[in-house]
Amino acid sequence: MEAVGLGLLLALIGLAVAGHQRLRIRSELVITLVRAAVQLTVVALIIEAAFSRLGYSALFVAVMFTAASWTAAHRMSGINQRLWIAAGSVAAGAGTALLALFGLGGYPLTPRYLIPIAGILIGGTMTAAGLAGRRITDELSSKVSEIEARLSLGVTARYALRSYVPGSIRTALIPVLDQTKNVGLVTLPGAFVGMILGGASPVQAAQVQLTVLFSLLGAQTIAATVSATGVARSFVGPGEGLASPQSTAS
Amino acid sequence: MSPQAPEAGRPHLRTSDLTLYRGDRLVLKQVNVCFGAREVTGVVGPSGSGKSSLLRCFNRLSEPTRGEVTFRGRDIREMPPVQLRRRIGLVGQTPILFPGDVRSNLAYGLDDPGRDSLLEVLDRAALPAGFLTRSSHELSVGEAQRVCIARALVRDPEILLLDEPTSALDRYSLQAVESLITALAAEALTVVVVTHDLALAGRICSTAKLLVDGELRSEGSIEQIFKVWSGEV
Repeated sequence: MEAVGLGLLLALIGLAVAGHQRLRIRSELVITLVRAAVQLTVVALIIEAAFSRLGYSALFVAVMFTAASWTAAHRMSGINQRLWIAAGSVAAGAGTALLALFGLGGYPLTPRYLIPIAGILIGGTMTAAGLAGRRITDELSSKVSEIEARLSLGVTARYALRSYVPGSIRTALIPVLDQTKNVGLVTLPGAFVGMILGGASPVQAAQVQLTVLFSLLGAQTIAATVSATGVARSFVGPGEGLASPQSTAS
Repeated sequence: MSPQAPEAGRPHLRTSDLTLYRGDRLVLKQVNVCFGAREVTGVVGPSGSGKSSLLRCFNRLSEPTRGEVTFRGRDIREMPPVQLRRRIGLVGQTPILFPGDVRSNLAYGLDDPGRDSLLEVLDRAALPAGFLTRSSHELSVGEAQRVCIARALVRDPEILLLDEPTSALDRYSLQAVESLITALAAEALTVVVVTHDLALAGRICSTAKLLVDGELRSEGSIEQIFKVWSGEV
């Protein structure tokens, strides 16, 4: 509790500086502080309950999955069936990694392992699916003439659109690639810090962190691929043409 | 050329009451036109008169609201779009080449066209064999437009649709592309050229159709079209 008090003191110093500099963000800072405190307290209580039974943990993971799918879908604004594409991407990426880690005996299937690892994987795949979906939506929307030039050469719409999928996947994977490349050099990742604060040795913490990072790399690649491919397919229209995937003007 | 190419002048492509709406806007109004085989026909008219929209209906990039297009007597909606687009090639106003070299552009979507057939179309487009390995980003606009025409020719189309093929070109490139179109006409390919430049149509087309506000106003010789268009303006 003393540490929380110190953190709060630092935040109050920030508030004072903001006031002195007339940044006009004082009320926003106060709301942010209160919101963070309330959110984390509620989440801590929920997680404590979720830790008590595996069934509750599964429910908690389902809530995380729904929120992640919703958020990723929001990045694909205007695309028909974006919620299904986002949910499929997160499920494919995070689901495959969770099945491998827990199904093949990497970790025991207990709330203590399931909740944090599922959280990291679902969060990572949410980012990758959202980025890939956004990127390919922008790409296809801005290159209609080029796509029509491809269609005019007598290829199927799927064939014409698939050229744009790899670039979108690459863009979506930049954050996780940079994170994995620079792990320990630029930042100390959350799982590593958390384990050390929890009393684990740095070597144990590094083992868990590597497992998380490697799994994330695989999970995000799957999620980005499913997302970019799904969005590209939503652009296929009747008669091997381009559809107007924008369900509403966005 | 296709071995079953119809005789010169016989109907190759025909529209019946072709009507196209884009949103609430009427783009084509009951257009009835016929393009004869092995002829170079111009579709002329001021900007926004529906010329490009007409071409897009021929290879089903746009689906008409009413009416039909027949190709060699057959409704094009009955034909698989992929096959139709190989038989009716379309080259757009701005040359669009895909990333990669000229070879990959020419062979796009084809299983294995073979080096000889690629060299042959380069030759028809008056481009040297060395172009095969040139990067698509290195080419001038005129060279890129000729590669685009060559890319359509690799598919051995029966009809070539050219949408304002010279509007983005400088004087030198314009002459090169005009010569290419004239050469294609000599090969007895059916060519439809959309242009707002009546002088260009006069140089490369045998006959023309005049579209104004989405309506067919006149068709016939270039001189006849010129008179009608002068009266319209």
